[in-house]
Amino acid sequence: MDYIVHVAVLASIFATLAISLDLVIGRTGLLSVAHAAFYGLGAYSTALFSVRLGLPIYAGVLAGLLLAALVSLVVSLPSLRLRDDYFAIATFGFQLIIYNTFNNWTSLTNGALGVFGIPQPTVFGRVFSSRLDFLGVSLATVALAYWIVQRLSSGPHGRVLSAIRESELLALALGKNTLRFKLVVFAVSAALASVAGATYAVYTSYIDPSSFTVMESILVISMVIIGGPGSSRGVILGAVTLVVLPEILRTIGLPSAVSANLRQIIYGSLLVGMMMFRPRGLLGRYSFGR
Amino acid sequence: MLHEFFIYGLIAGSGYALVALGFALIYRTVRFFNFAHGAVYTIGAYLAFVFYVLLGLPLAVAVLLAVPITGLIGVGFEWAVFRPMRARNASSLTLLIASLGLLILGQNVIALIFGNDTQVIHSGVVHEGAMIFGARITTIQETIFVAALVLFGLTAALLRLTRLGVALRAVANDPELARVAGVKDGQVITFAYFLGSCLAAAASVMIALDTNMTPTMGLHALLYGMVAVIVGGAGSLWGAYFGGLLLGVAQNVAVWQISADWQDVVAFVILIVFLLVRPEGLTSLRMRKGGV
Amino acid sequence: MSALRCENLVKVFGGVEALSGVTLSFPASGIVAIIGPNGAGKTTLLNVVTGFARPDAGSCWLGQSAITGLPPYAIARAGIARTFQDLRLVGALTALENILLAFPRQAGERLFNALTGLGIWRAERENLARASKIIEQVGLGGLGETAAGELSYGQQKLLTIGGCLATDARVLFFDEPVAGVHPEMISQIVDILDKLRDSGRLVIFIEHDIDTVRRVADWVVVMDHGRVVTVGPPTEILAQPEIMELYVV
Repeated sequence: MDYIVHVAVLASIFATLAISLDLVIGRTGLLSVAHAAFYGLGAYSTALFSVRLGLPIYAGVLAGLLLAALVSLVVSLPSLRLRDDYFAIATFGFQLIIYNTFNNWTSLTNGALGVFGIPQPTVFGRVFSSRLDFLGVSLATVALAYWIVQRLSSGPHGRVLSAIRESELLALALGKNTLRFKLVVFAVSAALASVAGATYAVYTSYIDPSSFTVMESILVISMVIIGGPGSSRGVILGAVTLVVLPEILRTIGLPSAVSANLRQIIYGSLLVGMMMFRPRGLLGRYSFGR
Repeated sequence: MLHEFFIYGLIAGSGYALVALGFALIYRTVRFFNFAHGAVYTIGAYLAFVFYVLLGLPLAVAVLLAVPITGLIGVGFEWAVFRPMRARNASSLTLLIASLGLLILGQNVIALIFGNDTQVIHSGVVHEGAMIFGARITTIQETIFVAALVLFGLTAALLRLTRLGVALRAVANDPELARVAGVKDGQVITFAYFLGSCLAAAASVMIALDTNMTPTMGLHALLYGMVAVIVGGAGSLWGAYFGGLLLGVAQNVAVWQISADWQDVVAFVILIVFLLVRPEGLTSLRMRKGGV
Repeated sequence: MSALRCENLVKVFGGVEALSGVTLSFPASGIVAIIGPNGAGKTTLLNVVTGFARPDAGSCWLGQSAITGLPPYAIARAGIARTFQDLRLVGALTALENILLAFPRQAGERLFNALTGLGIWRAERENLARASKIIEQVGLGGLGETAAGELSYGQQKLLTIGGCLATDARVLFFDEPVAGVHPEMISQIVDILDKLRDSGRLVIFIEHDIDTVRRVADWVVVMDHGRVVTVGPPTEILAQPEIMELYVV
């Protein structure tokens, strides 16, 4: 039972990541490979503010939010004038730079050894210690991400995102400052990723750079593309599938390394398959890349 | 000393240049970032491992087998995945993602077969290595430098002198015009994938002999190759070659001042700077978003 | 006083002068047709005026304000709307939503309003009513809820014109509005252009179809090789045999 709750917490954290990335990839049509970096910024801010500075949890979470949004501007402002595949490469580069910073700025982050002893959060006087408590928190972040993405994808704001996705020139001709929309969407997505990172940090109480690599970014991209770009329900399905899959493989007795490889083989094949035959993924509303 | 790092930079740069060369050859023809090139790179080294270490064939034979077989595997990816996608008008971004999937697939299949750990191929007795301009380099390292130069020269000659090579340049410069002039772009693209993948295999075999090999070596090499291509100018072959050398030298010289931990960061900062300031690289092809 | 004015516009693409010093002064309202052979620079002119291409020399003015080199969305907001030769629409949105998209100054497009919902609902209701009217005006009555991607080519063309109407722009610049469209629909479009003129707007359109030009234009601008060859009313221009030769070839 404990194990199932654990998997549910992980699935929720990744669902938050997938929903927030879908805002950028699925709704606005920008391929970002830097999502794990923002996830990591949230995790490290939360961890370092509480472990090093002894501040309450929300200080680190807030700092992580702001830091992620700020860094997202540093990434997106210069990169958004590049063509879409070059934009993806630029985000790749930023992801690697930020990961390397986690790994090499040892005086701040403790490098590959990671940060230990992240305290359990105390919210409204109650200490969050049990797995179910954390499930509550992680489900709340899923709900938050879902709500924010829904609001930004509907009504006038959502229409502009659809226009940017399908034909940016049209959006410009209609008087929309498309750069501003993209910057905002990117920043919101990064902030949500950092919240997921904060949740992860306090749940596991130990973080190290290996959770925030480019492969992690690609994993979340796979969740979005396989689950279905443009559909929050779809990407949640994608997240749950890709989190539960290796756990199933592990329970049928495969050694951990093999199941890790197998999981990647499966989602690598699914990526190829989806792009070839079903670019709108399982439940998606929009075909990726038209 | 600075000149030592310069020499090491040229050698590392030659490795990047070879990967970049293959990548650029393919990019020129099909105009999308083919991440599967990283998988092909890894396959090359592991094939050589199979022939040389597992089957005990002589090293030269192993290499001469591994390289063209890898070339064919590269062609296989094109025929099985990219060609049908292009027939359905897939965008370059969609092709990029599919190629990413192939990379992940390839890496992990190799890991499943050979294990996730680092492997080593020894080329026999470990030599002392020669002193070149004050830097001690091994025979393999010399070979990497020379091979990159030679292969670059051969590729350039191939493109200028053979019919297929000229056709490839035509398609690279103006696919519409080339098609109108009767160039069969299917053949040309196949050739580009074959040659490009062979170059990748040549690179990875030598790097594996020089250092070691792991299933994830492809991603790392590919990223460096991509930086080199972007620095040199996407689509230019000598840009890829000199971009590779430049990257190797800049990285090693930077490491001379900062610690080796940050060498990846140096490479990627160079990438970002070029993407933002001069995305067309040191030679030229329009890379910014066009207007109408 | 002219609404739109260009002075000495020059635009070079890869060594070729697409515009070689174009100077034009448009009336405040009316219909102006721009004709000329392929490669004359007509679409380049459209792109430069609407901000999708930067001129290498020269300037553009809308009323008293200089619009040269402004980003396209700023020029759109200043009051120039345009269509595209390759029919740009948001296929995933309905016809009504495509019109709603085009309305300027929507509070709901701002992050804060989008998240909180403040100031959206009433505006949406009002805009929906206006959008329905525009749908009727361009002859797409009943098709409001259809996805734009599922409309016929001619219907999509009508929708793009509707989008321009929704922007409230005083200057409308159409790129080949009747190309590829059935003759019956051409009449529909011509009627719309007439009504636009009557409402006091300036309509500029690039066209190859000389009949349409003859039917509806007040003025004709002839371009060739990046230059303005001549300007005049259609009766004059289209009667000259040298001009007609530029086309019938």
